[in-house]
Amino acid sequence: MTWQSLLRALWRGPQSRVCLLVLAMFAAIAIAGHTGFLPDHEANVGGSQDLPSWHWATLLGTDVLGRSVFFRVLAGAQTAVTIGFITTVLVIPFGTALGLAAGYFGGWVDAFITWLYSVVVSIPDILLITAISYSLGRGIESMCVALAATSWVGIMRLVRGEVLKHKGKEYVLAARVLGAGPGRIMFGEILPNVTHVGIVTSSLVLLGAVKAEVILTYLGIGVQDGASWGLLISGASQDLTNDIWWPLAGTVSAMFLLIYSLSVVGDSLRDALDPRVG
Amino acid sequence: MTAFVLRRLLLTLPTILGVALLTFLLFNAFGPDPVRVALGQHATPEAIANLRRLWGLDQSLPAQFLGFLQQIVTFDYGKSFVTGEDLGTQLKDGALVSLSVTAPPFFVGGAVNVALALFIARWREGLTDKVSRALFIAGMSISGLVYVLVLQYLLAYKLGLFPISGYVRGPGAVAYLALPWLILLLISMGPDIRLYRTLFLDEAGADYVRTARSKGATEGRVLLRHVLPNAWIPIITNNVTSIPFLILGSFLMERFFSIPGIGSLTIDALSRGDLPILKAVTVLGAMALVLFNLLSDLLYAWADPRVRLS
Amino acid sequence: MNLIRTLTALCASAALATAFAQAPANQKVLNFYRAGGFESLDPVRQFDSESHDIIAMVYSTLLRYSYLERPYKLEPDLLERLPELSADKLSYTFKLKKGVRFHDDKCFPAGKGRELTADDVLYSFRRFADANLNHKSWFLMAGAVEGMDDFHAASAKAGPTGDTSKLPIAGLQKVDSHTLTIKLTKPNPLFLFALAASSSSVVPQEAVRTYGDQFAVHPVGTGPFTLANVERKGTLRLLKNPNYHGTYPTVGAPGDAEKGLLKDAGKRLPFVDVVEMPLIEEAQPGMLKFLKGEIDWRALDRANFSKMVVKNGDGDFRIADEFASKFSIYWAPGTDLTYTALNLKDPLLGGNKKLRQALAYLMDTQAEIDVLQNGRGRKLQSVVPIELVGSERDTGATTYGYDVAQAKRLLAEAGYPDGKGLPALNVLYAASSVAARTSFDLNKAKFAAAGVQLKGVFGDFPTYLRSLETGNFQISDSAWQADYPDAENFYQLLYGKNGPPGPNHSGFANAAYDKAYETARLMPNGPERIALFKVMNQIIKDEVPVIIGRNTLRFGITQKWLSNFKRNLFTPEFMYLDIDAARKKKGLP
Repeated sequence: MTWQSLLRALWRGPQSRVCLLVLAMFAAIAIAGHTGFLPDHEANVGGSQDLPSWHWATLLGTDVLGRSVFFRVLAGAQTAVTIGFITTVLVIPFGTALGLAAGYFGGWVDAFITWLYSVVVSIPDILLITAISYSLGRGIESMCVALAATSWVGIMRLVRGEVLKHKGKEYVLAARVLGAGPGRIMFGEILPNVTHVGIVTSSLVLLGAVKAEVILTYLGIGVQDGASWGLLISGASQDLTNDIWWPLAGTVSAMFLLIYSLSVVGDSLRDALDPRVG
Repeated sequence: MTAFVLRRLLLTLPTILGVALLTFLLFNAFGPDPVRVALGQHATPEAIANLRRLWGLDQSLPAQFLGFLQQIVTFDYGKSFVTGEDLGTQLKDGALVSLSVTAPPFFVGGAVNVALALFIARWREGLTDKVSRALFIAGMSISGLVYVLVLQYLLAYKLGLFPISGYVRGPGAVAYLALPWLILLLISMGPDIRLYRTLFLDEAGADYVRTARSKGATEGRVLLRHVLPNAWIPIITNNVTSIPFLILGSFLMERFFSIPGIGSLTIDALSRGDLPILKAVTVLGAMALVLFNLLSDLLYAWADPRVRLS
Repeated sequence: MNLIRTLTALCASAALATAFAQAPANQKVLNFYRAGGFESLDPVRQFDSESHDIIAMVYSTLLRYSYLERPYKLEPDLLERLPELSADKLSYTFKLKKGVRFHDDKCFPAGKGRELTADDVLYSFRRFADANLNHKSWFLMAGAVEGMDDFHAASAKAGPTGDTSKLPIAGLQKVDSHTLTIKLTKPNPLFLFALAASSSSVVPQEAVRTYGDQFAVHPVGTGPFTLANVERKGTLRLLKNPNYHGTYPTVGAPGDAEKGLLKDAGKRLPFVDVVEMPLIEEAQPGMLKFLKGEIDWRALDRANFSKMVVKNGDGDFRIADEFASKFSIYWAPGTDLTYTALNLKDPLLGGNKKLRQALAYLMDTQAEIDVLQNGRGRKLQSVVPIELVGSERDTGATTYGYDVAQAKRLLAEAGYPDGKGLPALNVLYAASSVAARTSFDLNKAKFAAAGVQLKGVFGDFPTYLRSLETGNFQISDSAWQADYPDAENFYQLLYGKNGPPGPNHSGFANAAYDKAYETARLMPNGPERIALFKVMNQIIKDEVPVIIGRNTLRFGITQKWLSNFKRNLFTPEFMYLDIDAARKKKGLP
């Protein structure tokens, strides 16, 4: 399936179309953030914990240091998209490569990779992520590595299953007869037939990372400096008893938009790409 | 069958070993130093050396690892670093409490979710289906932390329907567990029902089902008598492997509702580097998982004759 | 005659029966809470505040701190009077109260607690000095008592399974069943503080022998309360010890009598029958419970403070009008110090005194107090909190304040005009909490005013300690809580021999300071000691190994049915408190 036809398939449903636009908006926010076009979320725009009002900066009021909650939510969006992106970029290629190797080579390679998989799966994610964070230190990069270390197992298993299905197919046998080496067969012949797994899974990995960041930051492992949705929600828990609900509402709405759109687009991707459906 | 079971059990040994190795590396070698944590700002070189010796941390890493393996085989993980208490009682008490939090919503929720998924599958492609799909995705788009914060604030404080936090042993615990149960149920609905719905619909498109329909069976009857008996196998086997994690508890619920289970015990142990607890929980958890995986495979083999024959 | 006697007996028992039947209904229950699980209830195995609070209620020590009088004074607890010091200032003689009984417990014959004697005190000291048991609080007596350090080292060599019961400690001498003497290695007024620490609580050998490892969760003491159950997490219930030996103080601080704090003077303690302490770790559930009347007293954090307390402008506080009919507030100065340590081993900071002084001018402690703590703190001018003897009230010390102009001038002199050429300095925090991050954000903005960039490094306590020890930091957000109410406990933070892993985070090692400290350390409070404090203050101000910060004002809120409350930072207040049971039953207005 080509990229154009994929996009056309996604564009078809009205819900899918809206969600695609929402994702594009978030991507734009992230890019704007990294290139310095987002408004400064550390600047003081008002008094301490002001109520929302109809200005851009004070749309969601201010926090205790007088900073704009709305700008901080935007900065948090940038952090979320960045974390999701980095984690996905780490997980999908790594998991796919391992799945290809395990499925194609079989034997000891498969046994080793499957052993690695079962070891990782047997340890509760929280423990593993926290332990890795201790070794690597705090911060976004190490959190993404830790998240990737627990997320690669899903896609590895899926790819391995697909590769096993394809291994005996005629086109693979044909390529081998023609003298193609294992690398050429794995990446040249089989991989194009299993990429749909990676594409569909990537949306799940992304939204999983965004959700995980909230809990990890609450536990003290995740993001340190700057602004993230996890930081905003953790701080909001105390404000709630003071009936200050707008920072929480704003952050949750933004997060909801992103994850909901990712889920819908992920579903549409699966519907479009899965050879079993349709 | 016994050969099959024995073989599978033997195959789990490398996994347990791998878990032990990974746990050891991450916590012993790289984790927080429990000696420093225990002594805090009152550390002196003499006190540090003394404590390291007492806790066996002055031995070489390979020696410590061998000691760890011995602990695994004898199921005696020693005493907690922080409290000096025997781990057996602590873990047992904590496990029961954690189970009281996670088990009821798991089983009751499982049944509820299956029923709802059947209902939606019955009325698929209609308004119910579309609306519920949107609702469930929406439910999944909100972090569990937010559920806890908002529901505790609204239902426990503002409306006073539930106690805010706490735990008592015995039947009185139900009052304190009701809200955590509710939250856990809500959080599980979205992903579970979507999964079951997919399973049911996959099965509902099979030939034998079409035959049943052509013979005049109503959709409801079709689902109950034909689809469910076949679809429940993957549902059950899927859920069986989640059971070990029930014992580990939901640390989020335990934290916010002050429930003294294994989840909160583990999180505390993490920040203090209480190695005995961490090692015990991880390895015992891995053993349980491996066992339940085996159980799930056996169930699958028993339920699906094709697997048995292979 | 017989008939009358029988009738009287019947009436008496009927009266008793009704009284007993009513007792539960009129029971005074104090509902408090605990914010964390305790580590151990074995006195020598703990040094955290949660364990301390419970141990102080179940056990007694030889000395304790005054409940009402300030500054905190030492008072006899298990003693009839304060110990006598010998003429050569090396020996203390202790006379124990007569008739103090341990709680009833099955470890005693027939389950009845026996009288506490000098043997128990000596036994407890030996446990305190045992290197296999006491890791955390040994420093309180290290080097103080004759023969104790030898015993400590011998116990370490013998190991946990070794038998040290035959080894003598020369300095501990029993005179008779209720008298003992302790001989010190040198005159040491600080030693008595160790006898008020909860880790030196007196324990009975029967309990230790009977319960072994489980002794840590099965305390048997002589304190005002016994434990009905022991749960690390979950709810603890403490029950009144009807035979407790303590009485309510008869002397208070100026103003206490007017506040009604002396109405129960001299009465037998405790007044409440039950103390309920559920574990509530998160802030939100705890506050919600207080507002519903389910908790009698609670500390006020920032968020709730701003809602419920009003500043009176002259540094005084009062409760907001809408809550005035329901609750009362209190505040008490803490015995803590929050400061910023500058790593003197860092090449950038270590050799550049002007840079350090510039940084000191950029630290806006007052803003942090006003904005982040809502004014619940006091900027300190020396390392000693104001509540202690030797603070700036006695020494007249002054230190840096926020002054961007001065900072800029010094930065230029240090070689970094407008901060140019100065790389971003990293600031190490001991937690990743919202409070730590907000504090960093505030300072980041303030430092930026002079062109100094900051980077925050948030971790958790173990990582923090590790970084301090390896010297892998430049600036550290540090704090210290007094172990005992003496200025020495704060000046030791800069003593050269206390470098990492000790509490001297900056690694300051100044010969003149160390000499002054060593002399002042063991002096009793007086003009000579104050003079030495002044010398040390000047050195700190000049060299800037640390930027002195603030000391907290602890705020809390109580229900109207709670009386006798005065916040005490060394002794848990529970045994002194009283509850108006009828009013509490009625609930909140």
